[in-house]
Amino acid sequence: MERDIEQLNAALNAIKVLRSNVRSVFESVSNGLRADHGDEGKETKFIYELQELLTTVNNNLRDVENAVANLTPQAGPFSLGNTTYLSQETTQERQALYGQLVNSYKWTDKIREYSAVAGNILAANSFNKTYKTYSTAKRRKTTTSNHNVAPEVIENLISSIDRLFPDVTFTPNRPLVPNPIIQVSLGRVLKAIIAFKGLMIEWVVVKAHAESNDLWTESRYRVFKRITENCHAAMCHFHSPLMPELAVRSFMHWFHSYITLFSAPCKRCGNHLNSNLPPTWRDFRSLEPYHEECK
Amino acid sequence: MGVTILTQFALENKTGPQTVEVLSKRICALGAVQQGHFLVDCETYTSVPQLGHQRTVHVLHNSEQPATVFSLLDNGTKITALATDGLFDLLMMKMSQFYTSKKQTKAESKGLRYEIGDFYVKLGTVTVSSNYKGILVEVEYRPCVVPAMCWDLLKEFLQGFLGLTAPTNPPTYLQNRMQEVYTPIDTIHQYLEHFTMFRKSPGIYRN
Repeated sequence: MERDIEQLNAALNAIKVLRSNVRSVFESVSNGLRADHGDEGKETKFIYELQELLTTVNNNLRDVENAVANLTPQAGPFSLGNTTYLSQETTQERQALYGQLVNSYKWTDKIREYSAVAGNILAANSFNKTYKTYSTAKRRKTTTSNHNVAPEVIENLISSIDRLFPDVTFTPNRPLVPNPIIQVSLGRVLKAIIAFKGLMIEWVVVKAHAESNDLWTESRYRVFKRITENCHAAMCHFHSPLMPELAVRSFMHWFHSYITLFSAPCKRCGNHLNSNLPPTWRDFRSLEPYHEECK
Repeated sequence: MGVTILTQFALENKTGPQTVEVLSKRICALGAVQQGHFLVDCETYTSVPQLGHQRTVHVLHNSEQPATVFSLLDNGTKITALATDGLFDLLMMKMSQFYTSKKQTKAESKGLRYEIGDFYVKLGTVTVSSNYKGILVEVEYRPCVVPAMCWDLLKEFLQGFLGLTAPTNPPTYLQNRMQEVYTPIDTIHQYLEHFTMFRKSPGIYRN
């Protein structure tokens, strides 16, 4: 047994050497003529080099063959319990069945092994983008639409969020009845213009207080442009088709953390400024301030 | 209009133009772009004795608000600020019988203006009746309007290019107004504070 394993190792090593030398042959072929071949008779030099490499490959191949010849094949056929008797089938067309059975057995065994590994890896990195659950209780909720809701529902939602944050002022404005545009003033720090589509946040623009309330022009300050971009990311992050109210609520909660935009230093580097900007990123979970480069 | 911090700056064994050059090199190395010139000037008028108790009117112009004339009336105990449009200058000329200007006290700070991110930096050379007095560095952080919120941030920025000589406390004028919304008149108050200091100092003022 000990000897068998030793021989097997030797054979595997021989294969490794063969592979690496074959690789160097291909490398040399793909590189073609190089500068270190010089000017004179470069073609012949190249051919000599190739020949040398091929000889080594040849030698390696002989080593592999020797090593394989030394290996003793496994004693007896692969046994699968009672199904072994299949090989003793008298009808000729069924005698091959056992071989196929062994192959498929090996195949399923491998599948099981791989799927177990894959399952472990996937469980470690869960990426549930939707809150979709297939329980019957939740399924009933899918019938509610978040695009087409009564204006009162949105009104209630906005006023309930308004009550939640005393330092935030909400000014709703309804150019189109079911889709309000609200202006959210975050203390004296900044203001955001948020457009709703039903219960869904459709567009956010962050600006300084002194700037216009126009939904389509971006702020003239770099810091607010950056926050506008981050708000768009957050609006996608918090968006959930099944619980639209929760999505709006959590967005507002996250957005409220910008009240310390100018006063809170970055959690990682401890500084206020990085490339002349204050920490413009707020973590989605912990709401801690970070610079774009530090997050 | 954002929060502005005004501070004096001086380097050992360097003349005014040399100091300005050192500072402009530093600020450009940080990525600033030069954006034209600026000028802040201040003229002081005093009331004639016939008017009784003496009062002083400081009239200031800031190139950042070109259509506005700022005037600060100082009656010894209280300063009253007034922001008017350009005609105020003509009005002062009409009142020359009551308020006389001391020409030798005309102070101004002028120099280059830089933009770096959301900051404006102005490196001003101060002259009082065309005698060089010192360097005034103005830093404005435009997105923020409440000094208390962004003082630490501004302090960090100032330390970034002024080094150890950067101020560690807010300007005295701002200390009582940290929670209020910053307006252009606050910048004018700071300028007047520094101009008064420069006028009182004999020769070149050192910090």
